[in-house]
Amino acid sequence: MSGKRFYKVGRRPWELRLAPSGINERQRSRLPGTRGHWLKWRDVHNPKTLRRERVLADKMPLWWTLGLSFVAIVTPFLSNSLLSVVSIFCVYAAINVLWTLIVGTAGIFSLATLAVVGASGYVAAAANVYLGVPWPFMLLIGPMVGFVFGAVLAAPSTRLDGLYYALLTMGVAEICRVFVLQLRPLTATGGAITQVDSFIPEDWFLQRPGLLLGFAGAFLLLLGALLVWRLVNSERLGMLLRVARTGREDEAFAEAIGIDFRRARLMVFVISSAALGVVGAFYAMYFRSISPQIFSLDQMLMLFAMMVIGGLGRAEGAVVGAAIVTLIDKGLIELGPPRIILVAFIMIGVTIFAREGLTGARAQFRDFRNRKAGERRARRTEKGGEAMPEEATEVHDKQELYYRRFNKRLRERLKKLITPELIEEHRRDPLGHHSDELARVLNYFRRGEMADKYVIHRMVPAEEKFRVMAVSGQRGMPPRVIDDREYHDIKEAYHAVFLLRVNDLLES
Amino acid sequence: MDLGLIVYALNLASIYALMAIGISILWSSVGIINMAHGATFAVSGYAAWLVTGALKPVIAAAFGKTAIASAVMAGALVGSALIAGALCGVIIYLLAFLPIHDKPNFQVRALIVTLGLNIASVQGLLWTFGPRNQGLPKIFGFGRWEVFGTRIRYDQAGTIIGAIVVMGLTLAWLRYSRRGLEVRAMMQNAEGAAYSGISRQVTALPVLMLTGALAGMAAALLSQTIFVSPTAGVIPLVKGLTIALLGGLGSVPGAVIGAILVGFLEAIVGVIPFLGQRYVLFATFLFIIAVLIVRPRGIGGLLDDTRE
Repeated sequence: MSGKRFYKVGRRPWELRLAPSGINERQRSRLPGTRGHWLKWRDVHNPKTLRRERVLADKMPLWWTLGLSFVAIVTPFLSNSLLSVVSIFCVYAAINVLWTLIVGTAGIFSLATLAVVGASGYVAAAANVYLGVPWPFMLLIGPMVGFVFGAVLAAPSTRLDGLYYALLTMGVAEICRVFVLQLRPLTATGGAITQVDSFIPEDWFLQRPGLLLGFAGAFLLLLGALLVWRLVNSERLGMLLRVARTGREDEAFAEAIGIDFRRARLMVFVISSAALGVVGAFYAMYFRSISPQIFSLDQMLMLFAMMVIGGLGRAEGAVVGAAIVTLIDKGLIELGPPRIILVAFIMIGVTIFAREGLTGARAQFRDFRNRKAGERRARRTEKGGEAMPEEATEVHDKQELYYRRFNKRLRERLKKLITPELIEEHRRDPLGHHSDELARVLNYFRRGEMADKYVIHRMVPAEEKFRVMAVSGQRGMPPRVIDDREYHDIKEAYHAVFLLRVNDLLES
Repeated sequence: MDLGLIVYALNLASIYALMAIGISILWSSVGIINMAHGATFAVSGYAAWLVTGALKPVIAAAFGKTAIASAVMAGALVGSALIAGALCGVIIYLLAFLPIHDKPNFQVRALIVTLGLNIASVQGLLWTFGPRNQGLPKIFGFGRWEVFGTRIRYDQAGTIIGAIVVMGLTLAWLRYSRRGLEVRAMMQNAEGAAYSGISRQVTALPVLMLTGALAGMAAALLSQTIFVSPTAGVIPLVKGLTIALLGGLGSVPGAVIGAILVGFLEAIVGVIPFLGQRYVLFATFLFIIAVLIVRPRGIGGLLDDTRE
């Protein structure tokens, strides 16, 4: 086998496949403190080379690492305005990842995400400005407020469902906005709390070092949100909820096997609300102020557009969508209103064409390609291919399939050769030296299956009387008479068999 | 409570009912939560403004300052708003229904597409016409009637009567026409309707045009009280949506009852001295949340299990 060169076939010839040693034991390092592994390496058996190969079954961690490290490395070299755009992207992406946890994992269609962010941001900012709490404690107050607010919001979610709950949460956001706007101490600033203390020193604010520090904080926030997503979605809670994910039947099933999915949903909701509280406190610190704008419908719709463009219910969708929309919304700010129209059109286009946003496009394309391939296969069979696809999977000897296909093509060619002249030639001289066409047809007939053949029966008593019989093709079953015509010349009988075979060929 | 308050409440209720009925019918028959209803409202308002602006000199030249002139003007305003609304319905049909109505996740995707349409058209209006408010001609004229010692403005009375007439026509169409029968069949059970040979694609178009025209009518009537602006559709959309949910999606009587309740609530909250106008939305949402917690499917809504 050593000198032989194999050419890679299939759809992924570029895929990296390691060749592990068959002698040594497999060494895999585990995540500290858990039984999980870092990457999902799987050993597979290559039926061609008969070797063991190691493939990476889940490549998402690689893409995450590449994407996030690209952002972390490139951003510090960007201009000041782009730097703040990237920081805002990180904050929005963090909010969206946590929102994805609520909408995707818990399956609660809540629109109060920004309300949770805003409320905890407001309380944390107020504690800092009016009570003099130092800024590190804001990061504790935020999640506490988020926790309480989330618990209050989550309570009706078991009773109401779908749109009714979405409306209720929209109402809560509106109530928050009105409540903040009518607060007497904030009337002077239009409802905003300003002069919030921050992790960015006062004289660095909006300067280069301050922006860099802000970006670092926002990036850490995004990493934290992704960690929360990973811990909730891929661990026990997420596993429980995946059972009860889609329909009413699944919920009933989950309940029947003892999963309290309502409680699991509430827990996911409360956990992500607490995490959103951290984002709220960060938001107030990053901008050194917080305004009622955060409760507005427009802002909520913008974040929703991000999730929809990226793919509802996936963390990578939330981040990709946030990147696209933030880049258009904040990066192209000189365009004016058309940039929002652009976002809306992207949203419409993605929704019409993609089933699950941009990040679901790959799976959708794969499904589409498989479907088209199946359709083509079906069409081939419809045209008279020998083996139906369903049948082909049953046939163990694949050689058989190709033989049948070859046979079909051969028959089609031979059908074209059958002409009145050819039949006349055979009638004149069934056993003589034949033309090339007739020789080919006769050769095909001779090579056929026994079951397709006919025999000539010399009738008793022995005289020159013949009739044609069809062979049964089964051992022990005698040939059967097909008609009562009798021939007095063996050559006539030969020609009759020829005509029968020609007839069979043309009918096949 | 004096009569003026009742009239004001009915005025609000009639506009809300027009919006809510459109949303409710559309949801229960076709299955689209139409977030572009507000955009339809605003676009119809602008269409009426453009058409009446263009026709004003023509009408003035033809009829002068007679009663016929104002009647023609009223016809042009209402007609253009209705046509613009119906055209918006066609656009929604082409973008949010036709390409995706047989695809997975249709309801969420239709909601998102209409949301996108809403954002795009509001921003488009803002871009084209600017944020300025535009006044439409007053088709009911200025003045008031004295009824039982209270004054009723012409535009209020006209709005209430116009809304009742339009709603009556819509309900009659649903009740007595062949197409209305199909729509009602789809509202009851979409699958059963499909089995009886009612095409969803064919029925959805008139439903969308009808609900668009209802939003156009609401715009024409509301333009008598307030100005037309690009973001004028947001509040009617939110109100219509909340009232449709309050009444129970798919229930026309529920939507009317919800509209009347919310109209009165807003009128009363607006005049209570220590609350005032800024608490109106606040109070509405609190009321709706309370109702939804008591009756999770709204006032007239049935549980999905019962519907199936």
